[in-house]
Amino acid sequence: MNTAWRETAHTNGYEFTQGSGYALPEYPFVAPPELKSGKTQRHQVVIIGAGITGLTMACCLAKLGVPAVLLDEDNTVGVKGASSRGICYTQKSLEIFQRLGVYERIAAKGIQWSVGRTFAGQDEVYSFDLRQQSNFDLSAQPPFINIQQFYIEGYLVERIYGLGHVDLRWKSRVTGFKQHNGYATLTVETPSGSYQLEAGHVIDASGSHTPFHGWTGATMTSRRGDDRWCIADVRFKNHPPKERHTWIEAPFNGNRSVWQHLMADDVWRIDYQMEPHADPEYVSREDVVRERLRQQFGPEVEADAEIVWVGSYAYRSQCLDQLRIGSVFFMGDTAKIVSPFGARGGNSGVADADNLAWKLAAVLKGRAPASLLDSYHEERFEAAAQNVQVTNRTARFLRPADGMERTFRTAAISLARQYPFARPLINTGRMAMANSYTHSSICDRTGGLSVQNVGFRWADNSRGTVNDLLEWADGDLLVLVFGDMSAAASQRLRQLAGQAPVRCVQVLGPDGRAQAIEHVRDPQGHLQGACHVFGHAWALVRPDSYLAATGESVDADLVQAIGQALGLSS
Amino acid sequence: MKTTLHFQDADTFYEQLLDAHTGLDREQSELLNARLILLLANQIGNREVLAACIEAAKQLPD
Repeated sequence: MNTAWRETAHTNGYEFTQGSGYALPEYPFVAPPELKSGKTQRHQVVIIGAGITGLTMACCLAKLGVPAVLLDEDNTVGVKGASSRGICYTQKSLEIFQRLGVYERIAAKGIQWSVGRTFAGQDEVYSFDLRQQSNFDLSAQPPFINIQQFYIEGYLVERIYGLGHVDLRWKSRVTGFKQHNGYATLTVETPSGSYQLEAGHVIDASGSHTPFHGWTGATMTSRRGDDRWCIADVRFKNHPPKERHTWIEAPFNGNRSVWQHLMADDVWRIDYQMEPHADPEYVSREDVVRERLRQQFGPEVEADAEIVWVGSYAYRSQCLDQLRIGSVFFMGDTAKIVSPFGARGGNSGVADADNLAWKLAAVLKGRAPASLLDSYHEERFEAAAQNVQVTNRTARFLRPADGMERTFRTAAISLARQYPFARPLINTGRMAMANSYTHSSICDRTGGLSVQNVGFRWADNSRGTVNDLLEWADGDLLVLVFGDMSAAASQRLRQLAGQAPVRCVQVLGPDGRAQAIEHVRDPQGHLQGACHVFGHAWALVRPDSYLAATGESVDADLVQAIGQALGLSS
Repeated sequence: MKTTLHFQDADTFYEQLLDAHTGLDREQSELLNARLILLLANQIGNREVLAACIEAAKQLPD
């Protein structure tokens, strides 16, 4: 059997085939101490894979002062010789990058957009403007920034070098693994020979080809279809409008789907849905790509266009049953794989890293029991399963089975042209958002929600944001108490701060009287809104800017919630 | 899900439904039905009722 079906790798990575590519940074291989000394060393955290997930993990740990080793088989970011992958980063990811100190560079390089238009045939079916949607407008970060993934990875690498604590080991391929009680042994191959190291915690962020699934006996649910796509990253002289355009049925692409997305460097990503089982080599040939561009933009625009990169892909969806096996934690594409629709791949990898990093730091610094780490699976498996479900629904809309599935899509599109009610049925991707945690043993039922990076005023009236408070809390839990406090409550908070890894802050309205040394003002109620509470209340905010719990009075419930958030009780 | 009579005029609805399909080929009829299902489903809206209706439709009598 040698059918096109089998030839196409369901990697969810895009293989370079054509185009002039990007110039990527290269990082030096430095022979590690193990090779010099010949001695095996124990490291508390070893991260495998310097993609966006592994680098976010490394940068989070560096920020928290936790030593770690990062192993990457290559010596650059992106995909060598090509390097185009994710392009769209959500508000939650941007808020995380702000905390890590790379947001300003991302914002300067990337492109902000808010208008999206969806077409079927020649007609616009509907459009949206995210700036008009109130749920995005209070954060210091925009709804989205589009930027080539390798730029973010490069910024993270430089930031990690600046922060220290993490040993970046390039050209280091993991070739062997053995799980022991409480640690694992890794064999690493380098240009100067191979060596072994021991890891208390292994973070597998090595992507969809990971060998760790086999090594650990991981089980998973996997699904693949016949849908085929081909990306062309194109630099235009006369560029299209700075909007996201999506065709469900593009007349210039055989009535199949087309995505038109903007990125940094005046490069546009045009993503074409190909025929089912299409031959990846043929559809990514330059003359074939250029013919598609001619059909879409006309011969003059096409003639002036530079093809930066072309990649064909077939996606699969996959979700591990357990995101932790022994000392190995799976994150990013090793935890789950989704189709690219909705930008739920890279963004959820970033969130995976942000979720585990503070927990690992708390455990390694002795501020929380090791059982806190069990909540990583609970929380990020729920997110992974949801992201798989949401992207599978989109994939089914974009590649309906012949017969009734296609009939219903035709019905939905025709109704959407006529009536507003049918527009939400048009599923060209549901953009990633911060997943909520409803099944977490460390979140109260009032918690589990993301807190946006909204603004407030420090006691001296200067501006601050939630991220500034988290930075100040330095990996501890943050107790925000809104409104007046009784003397007993103040006393209780002081005691709590002395006994547990928490920092307490009173949040006052425009003219309340400060009763705590640490207090801020929330004149417009944005901070309170971001914490999903009203009136007199407290909110327990985690270092990953998620709510652990909220409540009304400073009493035993708050004490209980702090213990729960640290994995002390269930 | 209602399983007792809720139609104001069942016979008229049934006739209108058949008339709408008159003269259509199979493909056109399928599209009409699909559009009608989506329009009606939006009138109901309630997720539990819709799920119960789909489930009930799948269960043919013996």
